[in-house]
Amino acid sequence: MRFYTFVLKNLIRRRVRTALTMLGIAVAVGAVVALVGVSSGFERSFLELYEKRQVDIIVSRKGLMDRLTSGLDENFGKKIAGLPGVKAVATGLLDFVSLEKLGIFGVMVQGWPDDCFMFDELGIVDGRRLRKGDDRGILLGKVLATNLNKKPGDKLVLFDEEFTVVGVYQTFNVYENGSMITLLAPLQKLMGREKQITGCTVVLEQHDRPTIDQMCLKIDALDPAGKTKAMPYEEYVRSTSQIKAAQAMAWMTSVLALIIGTVGMLNTMVMSVFERTREIGILRAIGWRRSRVVRMILLEAILLSMTGGLVGTLAAIGLTRFLSSRPSVAGMIGGQIDPRVILQGFGIALLVGLIGAAYPAYRAARLMPTEAIRHE
Amino acid sequence: MSDSGSNTVLLRTENLCKVYPDGAVNALVEVSLTIHQGEYVAIMGPSGSGKSTLLNLLGALDAPTSGEVYFLGEPLSAVCSLDRLRSQKVGFVFQSFYLLPVLTAAENVQVPMFETSLSASARVKKAIELLGIVGLQHRARHLPGQLSVGERQRAAVARALANDPILLLADEPTGNLDSLSAEGIFDLFAKLHRERGMTIVLVTHDPEFGHRAKRLVQMRDGHVISDGVLPPH
Repeated sequence: MRFYTFVLKNLIRRRVRTALTMLGIAVAVGAVVALVGVSSGFERSFLELYEKRQVDIIVSRKGLMDRLTSGLDENFGKKIAGLPGVKAVATGLLDFVSLEKLGIFGVMVQGWPDDCFMFDELGIVDGRRLRKGDDRGILLGKVLATNLNKKPGDKLVLFDEEFTVVGVYQTFNVYENGSMITLLAPLQKLMGREKQITGCTVVLEQHDRPTIDQMCLKIDALDPAGKTKAMPYEEYVRSTSQIKAAQAMAWMTSVLALIIGTVGMLNTMVMSVFERTREIGILRAIGWRRSRVVRMILLEAILLSMTGGLVGTLAAIGLTRFLSSRPSVAGMIGGQIDPRVILQGFGIALLVGLIGAAYPAYRAARLMPTEAIRHE
Repeated sequence: MSDSGSNTVLLRTENLCKVYPDGAVNALVEVSLTIHQGEYVAIMGPSGSGKSTLLNLLGALDAPTSGEVYFLGEPLSAVCSLDRLRSQKVGFVFQSFYLLPVLTAAENVQVPMFETSLSASARVKKAIELLGIVGLQHRARHLPGQLSVGERQRAAVARALANDPILLLADEPTGNLDSLSAEGIFDLFAKLHRERGMTIVLVTHDPEFGHRAKRLVQMRDGHVISDGVLPPH
């Protein structure tokens, strides 16, 4: 018999308690993996939006907490394009709409000028791209088109105006596939933001950090009123309030789940040590060192927490995949969880196990054999 | 030198006193005793006479309030790892067996061996051998709940022998056994003493079994009231 077999048998002898504790850990770790996974996926997808198009700089209104309310003059893009070292500039208006009647919420809608280079990056899978004069035309991402059951030629009401689907596109990005695109001018009009854009994405000829930082300063200098802020795309994404809020909520919920998981583990291990006081006394009497008793308790906790972590992680992956396939959230949640988040989940499970078992192990190690054997 | 043991003093107690934390009971009062290697000693006395307390102190399970226990000449108060001493030199047999219910007889015997460098396969082999010595090889894969009380105590004796101790301490080893099973356990102790030269110190209530030892220590109210060699049984 190996030592871990012995530890395993200790756990198996109290099946219900072991299963319930494992479930508690699974829920805690599952919550962490799912929530942090979704929020980090949210950030990753946003980064990917710019990264894969080699976008270097995002320009928006300075000092705004919510970037969606950012308003710049639509001609500001032309000024940026005139700077030496700038390869391309895309201007756009961005907002989120909900198609409540269809049960789809938080759909990203973008308005681009008809000559925007970003149109060239869209893979049109059905219909055609938007052209000049398509004022009531709209492009749908593939996921959104599927969820709305729309195809080119179909009508879609947006801001109480009827649009005609002219094409369906597919890109590498989950949010874009769940979003829609119109021409800039009609969207400005519908949103009451004529001549305004939310921001500009800038592609430089050179992508090294010093060049990017210098260009940010040059772009800021283009606005004598100092109301414009240019920043590297990573910085822009990470400072986006929606992403920050999602991450904060994910971690807050996770911390609560972890506290509950830790208390559950602590309760189980304390009870387990208390119930086995005499048994631990016997083990000490037959020569077990204190350190072996501690190892036994910690190993039991680690086995419990890692199994719980595995179950929780698998459940979180399954849940995320399931949610990503639901029309109401498809296009907001990617089905994949970053392996780093999964590792983080296991790390947290291990930590919960060790913290929850530390006191019981200490208590068990301090037991005097004779006192423990006398324990009723 | 003891009549039944060797010249080597295995255990010596010097003015051993034990007062339990509540301070109400003087469990042991100035007990001085010498036990040679290879002796077979029975400690008898009424309940509360201090015999189990003495056994616990001899086995380094507890510390005296005053006085000293010497194990092979070394004071236990100076031993840095009593756990190791218990693991390597002492085997314990308890009245209630205290076998772990989820482990088979063979697995129970292996539990003390975790403190040795034996491999897993060597532990299994040794456990089976020890169960053979106590006549329980055929029950090696049975759980304690599937064994008779006598068999459980035999398994507990095999566990006590797991790390080849030089001292076997038994606290009322037949207290929970029927007379037939008790007879078997005492025969086993006699065999271990005879064939292995093992030093055995046991506590018993039963005068019949007490007199099967080679030396009888009688206690009352924490004092040793008599200590003498018994005639051959």
